[in-house]
Amino acid sequence: MTYLENSKTFDPLRPGEQWFYYWKTSAVLWESRILQFPKDQIIFLPIYWGLHAESVTSWDFGQIQPERDLLRLTQILTQHGRRFCWILPLSPAPFFPNGGIPAFSARSLALDKNGVQLAVLDHEMNLNKMFSFFDPKVFQSYTVFLKEFGTFLGKNKIKSAVWGAEFYFHQDGHNCSFLDDHSIAFEQGFSRFLKKDYPDGLEIQDAKSEKNLKQKYTQQVKQLFITTAEAALGPYWIGVQKIVTMGGSPKDTILRSIPNGKSQLDFAKDLFYQFTNSSIISSALLSPLEKKESLNWILLENFGTKEIEQRYQYFEDGRGLSDEFTPYGVIDLFGNSSRFRFSSTKLIDYLNLNFRSLYRLQMELPFNSDWIDANQDRLKLFNGEELDRKTFSQILKLFMMGQRILLDRSGLSEELEKKLQIFLVENNIKIQFINFVTTIQICELGEGLLIIFEGDKLLDNPQTEEFWPQIFKFFNLLQPEVKMDSDVFSVWKIRATSPHELSYLNVRRVNFYNPTSYKKSVSIKTHKHFAFMKMVDPTRANAKSTLSGVDVELLPNGKIALDFGHYEDI
Amino acid sequence: MALNLIYHFQTSQNQEHEFIPASYGVVYFFSNEGFLDKEFLTEISKSIPETNYENLTFLNLDDLKTFSLRVCQELSEKEVRLISVQDYNIGIDGAKDLKSFQEIFDKYGELIVNESAKKKGLMAKFFKS
Repeated sequence: MTYLENSKTFDPLRPGEQWFYYWKTSAVLWESRILQFPKDQIIFLPIYWGLHAESVTSWDFGQIQPERDLLRLTQILTQHGRRFCWILPLSPAPFFPNGGIPAFSARSLALDKNGVQLAVLDHEMNLNKMFSFFDPKVFQSYTVFLKEFGTFLGKNKIKSAVWGAEFYFHQDGHNCSFLDDHSIAFEQGFSRFLKKDYPDGLEIQDAKSEKNLKQKYTQQVKQLFITTAEAALGPYWIGVQKIVTMGGSPKDTILRSIPNGKSQLDFAKDLFYQFTNSSIISSALLSPLEKKESLNWILLENFGTKEIEQRYQYFEDGRGLSDEFTPYGVIDLFGNSSRFRFSSTKLIDYLNLNFRSLYRLQMELPFNSDWIDANQDRLKLFNGEELDRKTFSQILKLFMMGQRILLDRSGLSEELEKKLQIFLVENNIKIQFINFVTTIQICELGEGLLIIFEGDKLLDNPQTEEFWPQIFKFFNLLQPEVKMDSDVFSVWKIRATSPHELSYLNVRRVNFYNPTSYKKSVSIKTHKHFAFMKMVDPTRANAKSTLSGVDVELLPNGKIALDFGHYEDI
Repeated sequence: MALNLIYHFQTSQNQEHEFIPASYGVVYFFSNEGFLDKEFLTEISKSIPETNYENLTFLNLDDLKTFSLRVCQELSEKEVRLISVQDYNIGIDGAKDLKSFQEIFDKYGELIVNESAKKKGLMAKFFKS
């Protein structure tokens, strides 16, 4: 899609991810604009809570200004049979002026770790300044708003779910919350926290201790906002989503302001970082000029309605494969700080080279039957240091259910180490001991496979590069071999076979995107297990069969999808 | 290509029984094409004595200015604008949109001119292959 085409279809009221900015237009136009949403899409209504403020104690939901008339808005949605839900900010929200905070509470500007004020360019290139959520005035007005909003929903019998949302930006390889703050309001709040939690005084020994205490305080405040929202909106409350905003970091604000802007390649890198991190993203800050061609395709094809509704739990993972393509991956890495840990053990490097976009980092193990069934074929890797008793028991259960687990035992607590030993003895598990780069135990139980290794021995070890290929060879993961430039991006999907494709086990689709301004080549080797079926929607791209697989040529801003049939193992 | 540098002043600190002197640190250094490469900046900072080149921090403002001028010379740019985090924040406070944000650097930044690039003039640039 060109810039001109994109500009024509771009609607500032619908900036992305099925969001509807009700406050951006006259209430008279709401109905016609809502009807422009495809009928089956859920409409997300981000709550600009500051807009509804008349004064500290008085909040308007349409009695004074028609643009604040949420009852009318919900009536229109209901009348046209539209599904909708609210998105309530639990942190400064970069889409709104003042981060959503009412003007009378916006006093202390939020600062990043360098002391730079957090300010974000929105999709219309307005500069939204973020204000600190650590200012007691903000919490006071937030509490009153929630009470009024809860009463409003109850009184008008509006049966709509509310999602809490904490907004993040991505900078220098990390996702940072807009709530994290280094302003005076934060420092003052931190002093109060120290006085309250440590009434006898506390001598902070070093910078690390201070950092830990500040993190503890930030978590407390974060939790306070969540519990307050949950208590006030109890019947409507669904849960909390962490949403990473594209183009929302302080660095992005600068980049987006310079003549060259932020490149499609850099945006694509950010998107795929979030893709492997299993993060939910928002592209609502991006202008039509930024959201063009490659980026637009990646968003539409991989972060579209189905993915959005799956993340918001309106669409469950099916049991087994469906007729439609669904995201495909081979390995899940679990843990809060897993990216750092798995980078240190060179696993991420190995995966990026051999299984790019086929791995996901997950914060928590979603131990429920649907998730277990839908992801039973994926390898699961756990970092012992971060495991608690509950998750550890769940891992052992997964192994007993026949799943394949990799466990880095370094840092495993004494209690869990003991539990592991007892488990292995009590269940009479067949164990094979191997010394290769590190100590490895291979445990088998039926189809279940548990490989336990000492990850610490992989750190700063020149032989580590040999470790991962051997481990993955052992798991025999069947996947076409792809050789491509690091600036080309790919996404794999899978579907069940149709009646005329019964010679295959399943069908895999890979989408390739070239967001650069250079021509790129991709070579795919199918080996014995895959057959090239067809190419789909090539745009400035071409593919041709070779003896060993397929060669793809991607021109600047080109894209293509290829389908492969997966043969039964011989 | 306009060069802009945002810096912050860090007061002296006693950290874990170690005295860390006051310093001026580079927060963001960018041109019209994007952020300047960290390795390139580190290399140039090595020519300034007593610089913590890993963190790009300088003992005084003059050293920071010398550093930014050398970057300017290395890139054959005419000028660079230096702006402190405090001034940048004041600028943000008064800015409403992209245009007023872009003006912050011209309005609040301290201009350092690379005389050598200026002397080369337009014709020198024109004949440069």
